[in-house]
Amino acid sequence: MASGREPGTPPPSRWAATRRLGLGNPRARGGARRWRQRKRSPSTVSCAGSSWPGLAVTLGSSRLHRRPGGLCESEPQPAPRLVAAGDAGVSEEDAEGREERKPRARGRPAAMSLAAEAFVSQIAATEPWPENATLYQQLKGEQILLSDNAASLAVQAFLQMCNLPIKVVCRANAEYMSPSGKVPFIHVGNQVVSELGPIVQFVKAKGHSLSDGLDEVQKAEMKAYMELVNNMLLTAELYLQWCDEATVGEITHARYGSPYPWPLNHILAYQKQWEVRRKMKAIGWGNKTLDQVLEDVDQCCQALSQRLGTQPYFFNKQPTELDALVFGHLYTILTTQLTNDELSEKVKNYSNLLAFCRRIEQHYFEDRGKVSSSVKSS
Amino acid sequence: MAAPLELSCWGGGWGLPSVHSESLVVMAYAKFSGAPLKVKVIDNTWRGSRGDVPILTTEDNIISQPAKILNFLRKQKYNADYELSAKQGADTLAYIALIEEKLLPAVLHTFWVESDNYFSVTRPWFASRIPFPLSLILPGRMSKGALNRILLTRGEPPLYHLREVEAQIYRDAKECLNLLSNRLGTSQFFFGDTPSTLDAYVFGFLAPLYKVRFPKGQLQGHLQRLSNLCRFCDDILHSYFRLSLGAFSCMNRNQQQIDLGEVHSHDSTT
Repeated sequence: MASGREPGTPPPSRWAATRRLGLGNPRARGGARRWRQRKRSPSTVSCAGSSWPGLAVTLGSSRLHRRPGGLCESEPQPAPRLVAAGDAGVSEEDAEGREERKPRARGRPAAMSLAAEAFVSQIAATEPWPENATLYQQLKGEQILLSDNAASLAVQAFLQMCNLPIKVVCRANAEYMSPSGKVPFIHVGNQVVSELGPIVQFVKAKGHSLSDGLDEVQKAEMKAYMELVNNMLLTAELYLQWCDEATVGEITHARYGSPYPWPLNHILAYQKQWEVRRKMKAIGWGNKTLDQVLEDVDQCCQALSQRLGTQPYFFNKQPTELDALVFGHLYTILTTQLTNDELSEKVKNYSNLLAFCRRIEQHYFEDRGKVSSSVKSS
Repeated sequence: MAAPLELSCWGGGWGLPSVHSESLVVMAYAKFSGAPLKVKVIDNTWRGSRGDVPILTTEDNIISQPAKILNFLRKQKYNADYELSAKQGADTLAYIALIEEKLLPAVLHTFWVESDNYFSVTRPWFASRIPFPLSLILPGRMSKGALNRILLTRGEPPLYHLREVEAQIYRDAKECLNLLSNRLGTSQFFFGDTPSTLDAYVFGFLAPLYKVRFPKGQLQGHLQRLSNLCRFCDDILHSYFRLSLGAFSCMNRNQQQIDLGEVHSHDSTT
């Protein structure tokens, strides 16, 4: 597994790195207090900083292949590591063994990202897109939920738009197999990448990109609209699934735990519900009522509809990842049967969005002989 | 409307009318739309409210979050987005979402989570404006809230580690700043010559980052290299906040000298 070794390749194992620095097991302590405790250990900073290059070379072989969800998300860079080791601006958190994710952001952004992208393209572009690439998601008929289905459909649409073949495989434990805990994830060659953002970057490194023809301002707009969809539509879907009592009781709990025996199905469902509710509270959605959430969805759809106007795609003639993402979410909302139809009614108010979904479905899914996935709850 | 609108928010420093991003967003929007807002700064008496700052109090109701406050002001016909087209309105929503997703975690981290910054700048400043003994508790709680928000939105379950996400949030924030800078280009405001909601949001999030002096400010360094965003903040401060700024900078210059034992040369913007 030493094939990916280059000078300064990030040390693969966080455990080995922190043990070698004599800092003990960071995961044993609570996450929230560690940043204060670290303030009291300045002595470890200086020795860690100087031993980085040595650390990088001596520690095992790369875990890049096993965890390239991390590869694509954080773009670990070998060259910047050597620079960062001598960088006087290294902070305490920096030096404590989180090398694979850290150093880049210390005062040299432009150079770092160029080196990072060169590294990523090198690793990823060594192989062309294989025929047996697979996309993993949860079981389509019984288990998958609204938000996961939307995400999965968005990735499938994106790959179809790039003309890359992908096989969809349904597994009950897809969520646990994924490197970041989120579905869907794709298994390409010997790399595993999850979530649309990292997948887009990974595909770009392989040489296929939908947004190359856009100028800087348009790229900024595209990213902003993707964040809008994630911020409003995805959060609203999560809210509806996990925080609305009627839906939770009737649909979500039953579906989420369906592949597992009693009592595991209840335990997992409650655990996930608790996690999602915590997140909702942290971002300020905990006190929202269902009506306010639906209003937000309406606002978001209105914004998307105004941006789309009468064009076939968001950026005129060619679809981009934004089109894939919007299609994934809107199509799933339109075709999923929930306890009430309010969510899909909000989307149906905008006829150009309906036409947009229909157009993408016809062009990229039906025409190619695949049936687009739709979820009907029993 | 003739009814008095009173906004209670955190006070200012380092040349800003307020150090708190959300308060600054509301104040900027009020200036842009011409709403007659009476600003009540939270000081360290017990009468000041600390709840869900910023809070807008009118005769009939109390409104707490910036988005809701802005909606209320628009309903009262104080609308800064009057001249925007439908597409620009949609762009506003999208860019606000971008700022909240990409820039906010790093700003929260710089202010509240990074230990050097928190212990030497943020905590003393807020503690001096909260009466004892709350001053021992509330800043810590705000810091934990910030850390929580960063971890829950960016961290990976089930262990939620800060260090894993730190590099990523700073990288995202720098990318977001670059995108905003590209979008602004050379024009004075984001949509033409008059400021709008998006300008208020961008100003609210960037101005504290730009002006407050931090020991560990890598994001600040990046922002200062983007000269059009710095010019944007300075322009708004000069044009809309100049009259009140004299009072703020005088008051806070002494405060800072006492607190930190340094002289901040960045204070004078008037």
